[in-house]
Amino acid sequence: MDAEVLVVGSGAGGATTATVLAEAGFDVLIVEEGQWVEQGSVLPFSLDQMEQQYRSGGVTVALGLPSIAYTEGRCAGGGTEINSGLYRRPPDDVLQKWAVDYEIAELDHDEVLTIATEVEQTINVTTVPGPASAPSEVLRRGAERLGWLNSEIPRWMKYANGDPQSGQRQSMTRTYLPRAVAAGARLATGCRIDALQMSGGNAHRATTTLSDGSRGTIRFRHVFVCGGAIQTPALLQRSRITGHIGRSLAVHPTVKLAARFADELNVPDDVPVHQVKEFAPDLSFGGSASQPGLVALALSDQWDTFGRAVTDWRRISVYYAAITSEGRGRVRAVRGLRDPIVTYGLTRRDRALLGSGLARLALLMLEAGADEVYPSFRGAPLVRKRSDLAAMRSRFSAAKASVMTVHLCSTVPMGEDTTKCGANSFGRVHGTTNVWVNDASLLPTAPGVNPQGTVMALAIRNARRFASSERSRG
Amino acid sequence: MAWDSRHLQLDGIVGPFADVLLAADLPLLPVDRRAEAVQFVQRRICVIPSFTRFGVTVIGLLYRGLLAAPGGAAVARFLSSKPLPVLGEYPRLIRSLGYAYIWERWPDTMPSGATQ
Repeated sequence: MDAEVLVVGSGAGGATTATVLAEAGFDVLIVEEGQWVEQGSVLPFSLDQMEQQYRSGGVTVALGLPSIAYTEGRCAGGGTEINSGLYRRPPDDVLQKWAVDYEIAELDHDEVLTIATEVEQTINVTTVPGPASAPSEVLRRGAERLGWLNSEIPRWMKYANGDPQSGQRQSMTRTYLPRAVAAGARLATGCRIDALQMSGGNAHRATTTLSDGSRGTIRFRHVFVCGGAIQTPALLQRSRITGHIGRSLAVHPTVKLAARFADELNVPDDVPVHQVKEFAPDLSFGGSASQPGLVALALSDQWDTFGRAVTDWRRISVYYAAITSEGRGRVRAVRGLRDPIVTYGLTRRDRALLGSGLARLALLMLEAGADEVYPSFRGAPLVRKRSDLAAMRSRFSAAKASVMTVHLCSTVPMGEDTTKCGANSFGRVHGTTNVWVNDASLLPTAPGVNPQGTVMALAIRNARRFASSERSRG
Repeated sequence: MAWDSRHLQLDGIVGPFADVLLAADLPLLPVDRRAEAVQFVQRRICVIPSFTRFGVTVIGLLYRGLLAAPGGAAVARFLSSKPLPVLGEYPRLIRSLGYAYIWERWPDTMPSGATQ
C-alpha cells in the first residue's frame, strides 16, 4: 500500500485530520490498529465493549505510587466510540497560556473557536432533550443545595423525536470517518504501525503488522501520527525520533465513590451529563459508568464493610472527583517490548487535592440525599452523615486509593520552545521534515475540561495549515 | 520480533491464584461460576501490556510457589487481604477483574457469592 498522506489512528485527531486532507484533494490512507465495531453491537461501558474496543481490554496502568489506571480506545473512531461524549470548547484562558508558555505561533483564539463551531455542527453537540437521568440529577441537586456551580455538559449526540432515551452518539464512525471516506480516503483497520523508517529527518516508509500477524510496509510522502497520548510517542520513539517525546504526560487523575440512595437510579449503559465546577479548574465532579460490575469494583477496596451494599446496585451510582494535576508522567518504548512503559508521579499537592476532592464529593452526595457513601480507597469508612467526613479525610491517602484517568495528553507538546516541545506550532515533529503529530499528545497541558473538543479543533487547524502550505508549494 | 510475555503459559500461574482468591472472598459462589470468572481473569491478563504482564507473571510465580507449600494457601489468602505495596497490587488486580465479571454477568449475586 502507498499513500500521499498516511494517517495513523482514527480517533478525534486522526479522523478530523483525514477528513480535512482528503477533502483538500490529498490521497489519504488511514490505518487503525483496532477493528470497526458498529455502534449498538456492544453494550456501552460493558466488559464486552472493553474487550472489543479498548486497548488491552481496558486493563492499562501508569505505574507509580499509586499507579493510575487509564483507558485507551483501540477501534475505528478511537476514544470517541467509548467515552462519555461530553463536549467542552477549548478554554480561552488555557489557549492563551499555552501560546505564551510554549511559544505557539499563530494560535488565534477566534480561529480555534470558529473551527470549534464547525465541529459542534458536524458532531451535533447538544443537551439532553428533557430531564437528565437520575444519577445526573443527583449532581445537580447536591450542588444546588450547596450553592455550588454546576451545569449540564452537552454531548455529541442525536436524539430521535426528542426522546432522551434514544441518544445515538455522533462519534467518528458516524461523522468524520464516513466523510473522509466519501472524499476518497481509504481506511485500513486491524493494522498496527510498528515503526517509521527514517532517513535523516525524513520518514518514507512504515512497517506494519496486520491482525493476522502478517507483516508489510506502507510508503508515503507525509505521515500524521494520531494514535493518542500513549501510542503516538511510543511509535515516534520506536522510530528513533528523539527530542521532547513522551516526557511530559499529563492527565486528570480521578478518585471515585459509590453512593446509595433511597430510590432506584442506576443507569447501567450511560453516564451523567452534569458536572460540578465550583472548584474548577483544580477540581471537578461528575458521574461514572455504573454497570453492576463497576459498582462491585467501586466497593471492592473495602469489601468487608462495603460488600453488603452490592445487592442494592440498582440504588447505587458511581461518581468521581477529577483534579488538574501538577504531576507528570513518561511514556517509554523499550526495545524488544511491544507495549510502552507508562509511569506517572502525583505531587504532594495532587494527593492532597484528591483527598479534599473526595471529601467534597461525599458531602455533595449527602446533600443530594444519599443514604450511604462508599469511598473507593482501602480502609475507607462508611459515610452516612456530615460528621463522618472528618474520619474519611483523615484516613484518606492517595496511595490507598483506586486512582484512574481517561484524559491523557501532552506527550508531544506543540510550540517553538524546543526545550519543552516535541512538535512545532502546527504539529510537525521537531527535527523531522514530514512527520506530524495531530492528537491529544500536542496539548501542552491537561486543559482542565474534557479535552476532545480541543483536540478536534486543533487537529483541524493544523491539517488546514498543512494543506494550504503543501498546495502553495505545488 | 518483539518479546511478548503472552508466550509464557500464564494460565497455570494466574488461574490457581484467582481461584483461591475468589473462593476465599466469595465462599458461596457456585463452582461453575467461579471457574467462568477465573477463565475471564486469565483471558484479560493475557492481553494486558507486556511490562505489566511481566510484573504480574513474576508476582504470580511467587504466589504459585506459596500455594504449593504446606499451609501456603492460608498465607496467600492473608497476604491478599493486606494492602501491601507492589505485592498487594496483584491480588487487587485479580479481585477487580473477578468482581467486575461476576457482577456484570450475574448482577444479583450476594456479597458472599451466593445466588439469590
